Amino acid sequence: MKMKRYMISVLAFLAVLGGSHSVFAGDAITIVGWGGTWDKAYKEGVWDPYMKETGKKLAFEEWEGEVAKVRAQIQSGNITYDLVSVEGPALEVGCAEGLFVKLTPEVTGDPSKYLPGTLGECGVASDTWATILTYNADVIKGEGPKSWADYWDVTKFPGKRGMYAQAQYTLENALMADGVVPGDVYKVLRTKEGVDRAFAMLDKIKPNVVWWSSTTQGIQNLSSGEVVMSDQYNARITNEILQEKKNYKIVWEAGFFYGTDMWAVVKGSPNEKSTLDLLKWFSVPEHQAGFSKLYAYGTGRIEAGDFIPAAWKANLPTAPEHAKFSATYDNAFWAENKEALEERFKNWQAK
Amino acid sequence: MKRHDFSMALLTLPLVIFIAFVFVWPVARFLTLGIDNSGIAQNLPRTIQSLSKWKPVDGVPGETSFTALIADLADAHAKQQDGILAQLINQRVVGSRILVIKTASASANGDFAKSPAKDTVLTAFPGWKNPDIWTVIAREKTNFTDYYLLNSLDLQRSTENNIEKVPPDNAVLLNVLGRTIWISLVVTALCALLSLPLAQAIVSAPAIWSRVIFALVLFPMWTSLLVRNIIWIIVLQKNGPINSSLISMGLISSPFEMIYTRFSLYVAMLQILLPIMVLSVTSVMKNIPPSYMKAALSLGAPWHTAWRRIQLPLILPGIFAGSAVVFVFSLGYYITPMLVGGPTDQMVSSYIAFYTNKTLNWGMSAALSIQLILILAISAVLFLSARAFFNRNTQT
Repeated sequence: MKMKRYMISVLAFLAVLGGSHSVFAGDAITIVGWGGTWDKAYKEGVWDPYMKETGKKLAFEEWEGEVAKVRAQIQSGNITYDLVSVEGPALEVGCAEGLFVKLTPEVTGDPSKYLPGTLGECGVASDTWATILTYNADVIKGEGPKSWADYWDVTKFPGKRGMYAQAQYTLENALMADGVVPGDVYKVLRTKEGVDRAFAMLDKIKPNVVWWSSTTQGIQNLSSGEVVMSDQYNARITNEILQEKKNYKIVWEAGFFYGTDMWAVVKGSPNEKSTLDLLKWFSVPEHQAGFSKLYAYGTGRIEAGDFIPAAWKANLPTAPEHAKFSATYDNAFWAENKEALEERFKNWQAK
Repeated sequence: MKRHDFSMALLTLPLVIFIAFVFVWPVARFLTLGIDNSGIAQNLPRTIQSLSKWKPVDGVPGETSFTALIADLADAHAKQQDGILAQLINQRVVGSRILVIKTASASANGDFAKSPAKDTVLTAFPGWKNPDIWTVIAREKTNFTDYYLLNSLDLQRSTENNIEKVPPDNAVLLNVLGRTIWISLVVTALCALLSLPLAQAIVSAPAIWSRVIFALVLFPMWTSLLVRNIIWIIVLQKNGPINSSLISMGLISSPFEMIYTRFSLYVAMLQILLPIMVLSVTSVMKNIPPSYMKAALSLGAPWHTAWRRIQLPLILPGIFAGSAVVFVFSLGYYITPMLVGGPTDQMVSSYIAFYTNKTLNWGMSAALSIQLILILAISAVLFLSARAFFNRNTQT
């Protein structure tokens, strides 16, 4: 045990050496987001107004959702993260483990005012994102793909496909291509035959896939014509369309899955109290809307929608006109099956 | 030891201590994760004890085991070990993670205070009726395991505890290991070949040109690794400059598939590692007096014979040193294969990263790291003995 504690403190020391500016942040609350344009939109739309209004200081870090880091910080007693955005499955596990503070309605506001799946025992939605089918309309001229079956059909739409190199997203898409409606996908995936069926579908498309592992790389492949269509995060594509004037189309009607990342307060941090105050401030609908107005991801409070311009709302995965094509990523399923399926997927990919 | 030596050693002491504490010790500790099995054994001591006579055929164990389980899980929760415990059990029995964590937090809450424990637990969490979980707990009673090391060689233990091959669907790691060594060897050989004319040019060109070539070789080394990789993606892609100029010249009708292949991986690795080899070869070549070659030529040897018998043996130490560095660097390549290679070009490090970040199976990452370190050690021995053998042969 002693060894373990020593190890953890060495790791924590290295993490500090690794260029985190939180060391100098003093008592500023450290907010840990997903980096890139996501962080930028959050800072501009939510955190800057907060700092202006309250005069408090915030520090920012980015991560890739590795809850093991939070666990290591708590065990070593050297907590540098205060508020983290975590994926749904990780929140559920971390909450039961006691890594995150349980939230009361005093902090979150009336729970009945939240969209389904956007409020957890230990978390409030930071963003509801979706993985959609998109294509480059400069390359596919005329009639574009309408479904995941079209994405699989390389005779109808010749060219390579971009695909995110992991099991989650990909297995769901494969089953949709095989004719399963989004709402039934997890019923199928929960059986051994269902998983085999998804992999059999993937076998068919494998030679025509260009894998991406970072969003930037995936979009670069789409923009250069290396791939003609791809799966991608919806807000990144909306950004490209509006800011970079790209001719990409989002095919909502092909069917898509959405997931919700959650803000969670790390238990035992020296700033726990002020972080909860920050979260209370964030639970005001107008404040939540600050992010969704800039970035095409949904947010938790239903009334936040009142503060978002109607035209922009159509870009959000939570827009009513898209809802009928979608289902939510099953957190419980991925919390238990992630390791086994990601390993099988990685092995399949390497063959 | 002489006093002088002692004070010299004292000067390096801070460095030695620093390296020992922040490098050697943590790395060694991490590697022990490859055989460490204490996560289950240390967190469930009473449960394991209660299962000492239990066999899978007995079905769900009795009241004592459940009381022990509640006590163990409550302790694990208090020490924040339940997350790791749940993960370890879930690695072996898929679908038990949330069951273990929720039972642990309920146990710590005192939800199962009233007896009989077995009934209360099973009513709240019927998942514990699954005998597989109990089999795993009863089996993982030791503090050490060869599970990860075997797995890293595509092997596993059968139910009779014999070593056997894993099902062919899961057997990829040996293949990846072979691929890693092969790619490193090819890159090393290509670097050695290409460095010879370059080094010769640097040594024999007029001073000003020699400096220009040298700068051109060094310049890429000062560019960020990421930038160099991304540039290759742009140059080699379907609509990139190479393909479009070949098409516009009418040499090909449809674009070559160059990026995300083994070819693009070799090109990118070669560009990154070549300067190291050139530096090493040049430094040796500079010290060879040009008169040796001239003497051989004036004595009537054809140019290629003179080069092979006089010049090459003198350059070889430089090639050896450069090859050792290039080979060792190549073995650990991660970013370049990830960015410019396809899925069948990924090397061992990509799997270490996968197990470390994606599935948090640190036992597997440690086992694969041990594998890489062993290859490093073996290749270092091979390089050293090859050089020693060569040196002895040239001296006699």
